[in-house]
Amino acid sequence: MSDSEPLATDDAASADVATRSDSAPEPVSSNGRLLSWVSTVDHKKIGILYICTAVFFLAIGGLEALLIRVQLLFPNNTFLSPDLFNQMFTMHGTTMVFLVGMPVLVGFQNYFVPLMIGARDVAFPRLNAMSYWLLPFGGILLYFSFMTGQAPDAGWFSYAPLSTKPYNLMPAQDYWIIGLICLGVGSVAASINIFVTVLQCRAPGMSLQRVPLFVWMSLMTAILTILALPALNSALAMLLIDRLLGAAFFEPARGGSAVLWQHYFWVFGHPEVYILILPAFGMISEVIPVFSRKPIYGYAFVAGSSAVIVLLSYGVWAHHMFAVGLGMGADMFFAVGTLLIALPTGLKVFNWTATMWGGSIRLTTAMMFAVAFLLEFVIGGLTGVMFAAVPIDWQLTDTYFVVGHFHYVLIGGTVFGLFSATYYWFPKMTGRMLSERLGKWQLWLWVFGLNATFLSQHVLGVMGMPRRVYTYADNPGWMALNAFAGAGAVAMAAGTLVMLLNIWVSLRRGEKAGDNPWEGFTLEWATSSPPPPENFAVIPEVSSRRPVWDLDHPDAADGQREQTPADSGWRPDKSITSIWAFVASEAVFFLLLLVAYVVFNTDLVGEITSASVLDVPRTALFSVALLGSSFTLWRAEALLKVGKLSEFRLWLALTIVLGAIFIGGQAIEYYGLISSEVTISDNLFTATFFTVTGFHGLHVIVGLIALGVVFVLAAKQDRHVLHGTTLKAIGIYWHFVDVVWIFVFCIIYLGFMQ
Amino acid sequence: MSSFPVFDPASPQAEAIRDLFVQVLWISGGIFSIVAGLICVALAKFRSRDTLPTQDFGSHRKEIAWIVAPVIVVLWIAAISAKLVLTFNAVPQAHPPGEQVADLIVTGHQWWWEIEYAGTGIVSANELHIPTGKRLRVQLSSADVIHSFWVARLARKMDAIPGRENFIWLEADEPGVYQGRCAEFCGTQHAWMNFLVHAHDPEDYERWLSENKAVPAAPTEPDAIAGRKTFFSLTCSQCHAIAGTGADRSIAPDLTHIASRAQLAAGVLKNTPENLRLWLKNPAAFKPGCKMPDFKLTDQQLDDLVAYLETLK
Amino acid sequence: MIELISDRALWNWWSPAWFVAAVVAVLYGRYPGWTSLSKSLWLIAGLSVLVFAFVSPLGVLADGFLFSAHMIQHLLLLLVVPLCLVLSLPPSSAEPAFSGTVDEGSLRKMMRRVMKNPIAGWSVGLGAMWFWHVPAFCNAATENYMISVVRTVTFLAAGLLFWWPIYSPRKQARLPASHAVVYLFSACLGCTLLGIYITFTTITVCPAFASPEERLAVMIALHDAGMTSSVDQQLGGLLMWVPPCSLYVAAIVSVLCRWYAVGEPGEAGLAVTRTAEVR
Repeated sequence: MSDSEPLATDDAASADVATRSDSAPEPVSSNGRLLSWVSTVDHKKIGILYICTAVFFLAIGGLEALLIRVQLLFPNNTFLSPDLFNQMFTMHGTTMVFLVGMPVLVGFQNYFVPLMIGARDVAFPRLNAMSYWLLPFGGILLYFSFMTGQAPDAGWFSYAPLSTKPYNLMPAQDYWIIGLICLGVGSVAASINIFVTVLQCRAPGMSLQRVPLFVWMSLMTAILTILALPALNSALAMLLIDRLLGAAFFEPARGGSAVLWQHYFWVFGHPEVYILILPAFGMISEVIPVFSRKPIYGYAFVAGSSAVIVLLSYGVWAHHMFAVGLGMGADMFFAVGTLLIALPTGLKVFNWTATMWGGSIRLTTAMMFAVAFLLEFVIGGLTGVMFAAVPIDWQLTDTYFVVGHFHYVLIGGTVFGLFSATYYWFPKMTGRMLSERLGKWQLWLWVFGLNATFLSQHVLGVMGMPRRVYTYADNPGWMALNAFAGAGAVAMAAGTLVMLLNIWVSLRRGEKAGDNPWEGFTLEWATSSPPPPENFAVIPEVSSRRPVWDLDHPDAADGQREQTPADSGWRPDKSITSIWAFVASEAVFFLLLLVAYVVFNTDLVGEITSASVLDVPRTALFSVALLGSSFTLWRAEALLKVGKLSEFRLWLALTIVLGAIFIGGQAIEYYGLISSEVTISDNLFTATFFTVTGFHGLHVIVGLIALGVVFVLAAKQDRHVLHGTTLKAIGIYWHFVDVVWIFVFCIIYLGFMQ
Repeated sequence: MSSFPVFDPASPQAEAIRDLFVQVLWISGGIFSIVAGLICVALAKFRSRDTLPTQDFGSHRKEIAWIVAPVIVVLWIAAISAKLVLTFNAVPQAHPPGEQVADLIVTGHQWWWEIEYAGTGIVSANELHIPTGKRLRVQLSSADVIHSFWVARLARKMDAIPGRENFIWLEADEPGVYQGRCAEFCGTQHAWMNFLVHAHDPEDYERWLSENKAVPAAPTEPDAIAGRKTFFSLTCSQCHAIAGTGADRSIAPDLTHIASRAQLAAGVLKNTPENLRLWLKNPAAFKPGCKMPDFKLTDQQLDDLVAYLETLK
Repeated sequence: MIELISDRALWNWWSPAWFVAAVVAVLYGRYPGWTSLSKSLWLIAGLSVLVFAFVSPLGVLADGFLFSAHMIQHLLLLLVVPLCLVLSLPPSSAEPAFSGTVDEGSLRKMMRRVMKNPIAGWSVGLGAMWFWHVPAFCNAATENYMISVVRTVTFLAAGLLFWWPIYSPRKQARLPASHAVVYLFSACLGCTLLGIYITFTTITVCPAFASPEERLAVMIALHDAGMTSSVDQQLGGLLMWVPPCSLYVAAIVSVLCRWYAVGEPGEAGLAVTRTAEVR
């Protein structure tokens, strides 16, 4: 372990070199500058790319919102056709969640996490670039659907069977699925990067109990993303297989389940809410202390309660489904879980307020947005508690009350947190201050807009207006509030324009910021504004939660008053850590596919079942080959460790051969089944069987390719392979794939749990 | 129609939910006032000062003391909602053996509601008739995508899901007409999937029942007879049913007693002969994307069809 | 089906649980190193729960009548009682038993190894939970008294092993914070899966409960109130799922508290804790 450390840092250093040469201010021509952005692997530039892309999609998503509001201005409006209206709210929701909310937060994390922990870059700069480029790629795929004549129109959670082929013939839904898979892969990659960065790249002295809260929240968000996105990916994969290959996972008419989609979607969808709000919690946990000139009140409680939120968020998804009729037991348990989540959140509100209490508050725009966050988010949180009381949910879910509720959370929470962070960190990112006067215009426009639009919608919900209706001709009484909501939307749009104007003016002739204009506490203020490509001339030493405060107030340094657990100095290996994170993510993916298998095959009757078409002994034989390959790889690793290179190559080759034999066996099995006309579209057994084993086979093939690359590199005496942790990392993946197969074999071939 | 249906309940169930909602609203309002008050005081009292404020890192005891109140509130809300859930959710599923599964069988279609009065042979669409003061067991399902059955003044919302049966209680205290809607997005015309619940005094209900059990008399007027011919010569009977005539498909709303219904096309139009004619002439003009095709009927055919359908009282 | 009304009383005053509790209490009192009152309060709590699980109507209903009652008893035995017992051990008591002295026997050495290994505790804890809900075993334990005794013993033992790496009185034997979080969170996932399975499956997990040979009078009332055997199983599944997960989350909170506390020896941060995984 320890002997691999130098290599790992060496790798990071080589990435740093790439970073520096990319962002060096040499190119003068605009072409060169453009190229430097396109080819950059610098976390700061990638962060800015993320943020700019998100702002671009914010404009589109905002325009869609405005079109929706125009359509609903008066009762019998024909501004949009019903189908176009449905496309608008579908695209508005999808865009705002996947192309605005997640990217802009990842952008800020990308820019500031390495700075705040005193690192030179993220752990994997090139992976970072790939994660970013998947974003425009996914976004373009999603919006390309307009070219097919129709955008997706099944709502942002695309409930089956409305999203299945019989009710949704257009290819738009396929674009939606594929676009989301792209974005999901990008998000998971970005999150693994942040996860490893926080664990591995911290400055000396910065124990995990000392990281700034924004960094801690980023770590929590990364864990959430890594474990939640695969749930969406598995559901999307199944829906795509339904639509393109004729399976029937989500088609009740052919035995599928309409409710399973909802379960899978919200297993992802509820943690997603926290993916969107936790980083904003982190942002205002930075802003409020700095502008109150006090440390955060109860650091451990703010950080610990977020960890509890992460854990609980996986157990509350069905509160989106109280109207589904899951039964009183399920309803009540999920309600209690949901109510419990209110506790750690409420604790944080207390801590933020207590931080302001007794402080020396400077009401800058950043601070005002943070205070607005507190007030508006509390409203969103309290309406959330109302929905946790099941009978209230029975009345108000699927009405405008719920639309109002989550916009208070996402705008009052996430967006206000982001605005606060923008005013707080813009000087660091550009070296120039934003105008406070324009900032306050933006603040009041947004505060008015948010409350006008979404308070009205709360009332509309109580008046009985369902969400997602394109007309309310039979209810002219709803007009006044809808019109008022429209005015609020215009105010928010105007506020956004003010912000863009502010940024534009500031970039041209804004006041120079200096290194630390706000007297900030954390490490990003210890370097120049904007920071140099290498971030810090000398990596600072940390001994408390507020290193820059300690430097500014040596006589009142935190260490004298508050003891924090010291840093052991140990950092995990980044390849190994990243592969464990990846394996955890993949495990969730397979887990959900296997759950689908069990759900659909428990009392399946018919001619084609696992018992009737599978050749268990033959597959058992091939399974032995796969499991044997785990053993041979383990041998190979051991031999590499003691430096027996030729034997190592032999055992590695044996591993590859055994893996190939397994894949060959699977090919034979597939050929046999398909030639006897057993295909994925036959029934739910074949659908689940081919999906599970197919994805597993795909993973084996990926593992084989990776092992093949290692084999070739080892033959070329590549030093990374021979002395680094590469083989070990791939080994973890390979063993994981084998373990998955044990479960697949037991459940599908041996029929456990049926 | 009430403008605040959630606050204007007309059944014990809706009333209980309203009471719970009002109570939670008060609790929430109280919590918000406390938090907002604290923030405002902090803002007013602790504005920028020259001296460095005391660096307070927090206190475990205060954190724990603070969390006690929310814990109590949360437990209280859980308890009162559990009570309601037990009262209104548990029972419909455990129906006593020997009794029929449901009094009303409601099936959602894109974009209308099929309503069957169990044990009476009556099938109708988009309008439910119920006696007051009696709890009816309603079975909900769907023929295509997910819908949601919601009569805010009378009962909880419940999804109608294909391949699944859900049950709710439906009850009205007073005679009257109650607005129902589809609450789950179900495609192009989700907005026009309304229905009405007519609550009658028990005697009136019995009368309605006996009237609707009867098959409408065959038309006698010449234009109505011609209309009936048109109905069967075109493909109307491929989708619509009219009891006693041999048309028995349930792809589209049952027309047996269409003339006695208050609305057309799940709430789009008031049911008058003129509106019926307009609707038949071009359904998509009123409900774009609806499954009823435009048959390009001639004026004569329209007159005849309307005359016939108006006899179906 | 003719339903016989059982004449069994709702309270089982003559349960052997009294005896077991008494023996444990005596052993505990005689153990060297008994010091603090709070520790012995844990013992009293643990033994009271143990007695409650068998003597009260819960224990009677769990004995072949009500699946959900069985589930509560099972959770008390597997999670609550062992947790209390582990917490009741004074720090010094663990020293002679589990610290490596030169002349310790091989059995003791092995035991020490097993208890130190988190994988053992995790798999035994989760394993007991899953194993006894395989329909055949669940049925057998419900119908046969001896098997049910075996089940009770395995529950208690598995529970002790499960909690050991988290709350061992010897700090060196405890898992580092991040491991402990992963340990508890994955355990939560394990019972979530089982809970979901029991809640939503159409299979009758324990047929002995679904069609008992005789019924208690109180069950007729319960059945009339909507507690049919399928509702009973659903409730059992949810009990399997939510309360243990809540307990695990509470344990995670306590681990985090330990982690943030300053000066805890042997706790050098979340990062360190990944070492074992890496190796």
